[in-house]
Amino acid sequence: MTGTRPVGEVLDSPEFFRRILAIADDAVLSVDEDHRIILFNEGAEKIFGWRADEIIGQPLNTLLPQWAGAPHTRHMHAFAAGEAVARPMRGRGIRGRRRDGGEFPAEASISRIDVGGRTVFTAILRDVTAARRIEEDMRRLNADLIDRAVQLENANRELEAFSYSVSHDLRAPLRSISGFAQLLVEDFADTVDDEAKDFLRRIEGASTRMAELIDDLLALSRLTRGDLMPTLVDLSAIAREVVDEIRRADPGRARVTVEIEDGMTAVADSRLMRTAVVNLMDNAWKYTSRNDSARISFTSGMDAEGQRVFTLRDDGAGFDMAYADKLFGAFQRLHGTGEFPGSGIGLATVQRIVHKHGGRVWAEGAVGKGAAFHFTLGEREGE
Amino acid sequence: MKPILLVEDNPDDELLTLRALKKNHIHNPVVVARDGPEALDVLFGADRSGGIVPAMVLLDLKLPKLSGIEVLREIRRSADTRMTPVVILTSSREEQDLMAGYELGANSYIRKPVDFAQFSEAVRQLGLYWLVLNEPPPESRPT
Repeated sequence: MTGTRPVGEVLDSPEFFRRILAIADDAVLSVDEDHRIILFNEGAEKIFGWRADEIIGQPLNTLLPQWAGAPHTRHMHAFAAGEAVARPMRGRGIRGRRRDGGEFPAEASISRIDVGGRTVFTAILRDVTAARRIEEDMRRLNADLIDRAVQLENANRELEAFSYSVSHDLRAPLRSISGFAQLLVEDFADTVDDEAKDFLRRIEGASTRMAELIDDLLALSRLTRGDLMPTLVDLSAIAREVVDEIRRADPGRARVTVEIEDGMTAVADSRLMRTAVVNLMDNAWKYTSRNDSARISFTSGMDAEGQRVFTLRDDGAGFDMAYADKLFGAFQRLHGTGEFPGSGIGLATVQRIVHKHGGRVWAEGAVGKGAAFHFTLGEREGE
Repeated sequence: MKPILLVEDNPDDELLTLRALKKNHIHNPVVVARDGPEALDVLFGADRSGGIVPAMVLLDLKLPKLSGIEVLREIRRSADTRMTPVVILTSSREEQDLMAGYELGANSYIRKPVDFAQFSEAVRQLGLYWLVLNEPPPESRPT
């Protein structure tokens, strides 16, 4: 060691700048007034595929696509004659040519440096093939997305037109079926015997039931149209109101104990949550109707991922776990209509609502041992 | 007795409605129009020189040629009929129909029940309310 030199001298040393040039990923190359290459760093070697000792002294056009040579030369002359000493060059037209003839898109900035009566032009340039490909991909993805959004919108419009026409067109013939069956009984009471009357009543009953199914289906499709309006919802309070309503509507069922955990809140759409709770509670109420006394509970807990899970449990008729995945399909029923009435739309409604909130819903149960319905609302605790 | 104008394109519904009116002892004469233009002809005359001002219009929405909504718009536009009670009697309860109906000044909007007993009851109540209980608007022109 011969002592430490002042930092100023380091900055003056050609070695220092050669090393800096060597570590740059970008191509740094300089040409003289005649556009012959006089500097070609390691980055340039990598990008263009030429070694510095092969390319030094060659015309700059060697590194440009053939079509770009003449305009580029004009640009260089204009730049040489102009006031500016540095200029960024971007845009689609900037392209370089590798040793193997392959072209690549580039971004560059050029500068004019006048030293000791000579003028040197230096370009710092990078290959933007990868970036351009990503841009291209993104543009394509975006276009795809827009296409799909348009398709979805069309599908939605068609669906609305469909439900509109269902609500109009399917009900009218039902009204005729039900109406004339009833008029037959009224007008021909003397000539129609009891068996025929029974058949006519069945026709009437079936048309009424079909009208209800159509209404339920339309209600289900209408339910989740439109945007969520999330607010802080008190599920405990909703559940207590719902139970009060059910008790009022069915006062004969006194021996049902309902436990509702206090303070269960969630950020959710309150109208939809009420509908979900009504359906779950109705369900529990209905499937415990064969019990002498029944117990229903609505509680919450935390799953392994720290997500809040709400559970509505009953000790009623239950179901066979083999059919657990069928519970949530529209019009799927695991019990005969004679056994427990209903259209099979309630749990489908619950599932729609939960999915709309980004949550999951699933069920556990066993025949004769009750059922538990669990759901999450897709929000992390504390959010 | 002023007539009831029934605007209805479905012959079954027409028969059932007439039946329900008769059953409930509503004896006003009933004029039936089976599409939108026919309804306008009844109300304003084929040459628009003047037609019938009914005691009440029972208006279906889904009609050939001109929809019930368009018929309602014409009813409210005319000085002769702008105060005439109009009851929309239809299959739909789509929000867009409800909105359009009320915005154009329908007096009631009834969705036809599928069950005939309920339908008949709805017609009974409509007749009782609009033809008996409700005081009609003063005559806007000499009859």
